[in-house]
Amino acid sequence: MVELTLPKNSKVGKGKTWPKPQGATNLRQFKIYRYSPEEAGNPRWDLYWVDMDKAGTMILDVLLYIKNNIDPTLAFRRSCREGVCGSCAMNIAGNNTIACTKGFDELPGGVISISPLPHLPVVKDLIPDLTNFYAQHAYVQPFLKTVTPAPEKEWKQSETDREELNGLYECILCACCSTSCPSYWWNGDKYLGPAALLQAYRWLIDSRDEATGERLDDLEDPFKLYRCHTIMNCAQVCPKGLNPAKAIAKIKHMMVERVS
Amino acid sequence: MSGTKQADSRPLSPHLGIWRYHATMFASITHRFTGMAMYFGTFLIAAWLVALASGPDAFAVFEPIISSIPGQVILFLWTVAVLFHLANGIRYLFWDGPHIGFDPKTASAVSVFNYVFAVLASVAIWAVVLLA
Repeated sequence: MVELTLPKNSKVGKGKTWPKPQGATNLRQFKIYRYSPEEAGNPRWDLYWVDMDKAGTMILDVLLYIKNNIDPTLAFRRSCREGVCGSCAMNIAGNNTIACTKGFDELPGGVISISPLPHLPVVKDLIPDLTNFYAQHAYVQPFLKTVTPAPEKEWKQSETDREELNGLYECILCACCSTSCPSYWWNGDKYLGPAALLQAYRWLIDSRDEATGERLDDLEDPFKLYRCHTIMNCAQVCPKGLNPAKAIAKIKHMMVERVS
Repeated sequence: MSGTKQADSRPLSPHLGIWRYHATMFASITHRFTGMAMYFGTFLIAAWLVALASGPDAFAVFEPIISSIPGQVILFLWTVAVLFHLANGIRYLFWDGPHIGFDPKTASAVSVFNYVFAVLASVAIWAVVLLA
């Protein structure tokens, strides 16, 4: 359901302004979303001054700088620091992306806000609960389904058929796209969202998969697929440059083709 | 994830309030609003025709309203709405038919073009009508 404002317990209040690091000449201010289940009260925006000469080059470096030098209680997920694990997905300056590949030079001017991926229950600080997102990924059954007996060695595929999977298999499940989608915000419990649908398409057009009809049957529903209104936020924010909106349009096309 | 809220004391992360809009999201919302504006505009045109069909007396009531400055402004905005909805609708046809224009940069550029087109074409149409 469309809810333009946040519920009462989620309104973000004013937080603490942390002291400036000493002797720094190249300072930038960051406004970071803070929430702890162990403290009473609403989430808040804390303000941090970061010495950009010492912080590194990426937003993940900024977060690590804050955690190491200013405030060790700041919680966020990170792992690979090179854009392959998808753990550090968050909203930076108003758009979702992964902190480890977002450079200082790509930032707009002014105070930079950093908050968890939008419209999800917050576990702590920048860590949202992605249970529903993963369940939706599982729902599309992202694995090869066949009925013919398995070949002795492997399921073969021509080079042309393999090329169909380019731009689909690279998804790292960071959830930037799904949580950027207003349709997913309002109907995330019924609409599968861009990430799961991109995966669905990845298996629908795999030449080796033999469950295409079944997979399409599963998506034939007013919400699961058709809540995509091509708002295009998913393609705009994908840190891997993939295009879920296009994949969804192609699934819709397959739906039409099989009845015509 | 609005479905899980009741059983959940955890806060919901901020969404619309912090989002920085791309041209494509603006165009999507505008498409909805212009769609609604067109219902209203069609009602206006229908009222005009009904007044016209009902005879000179009825038309004499309606005519000053629609020729007043606010009436003309509404008609101009309706022109903008129709033209934007038309241009943006064609963009949807390109997406859903041949899947053309999905690249984010192209999509943003087309969205901006649709706004510019709607305004310029409306001004052009009104200029022709008013100067004729």
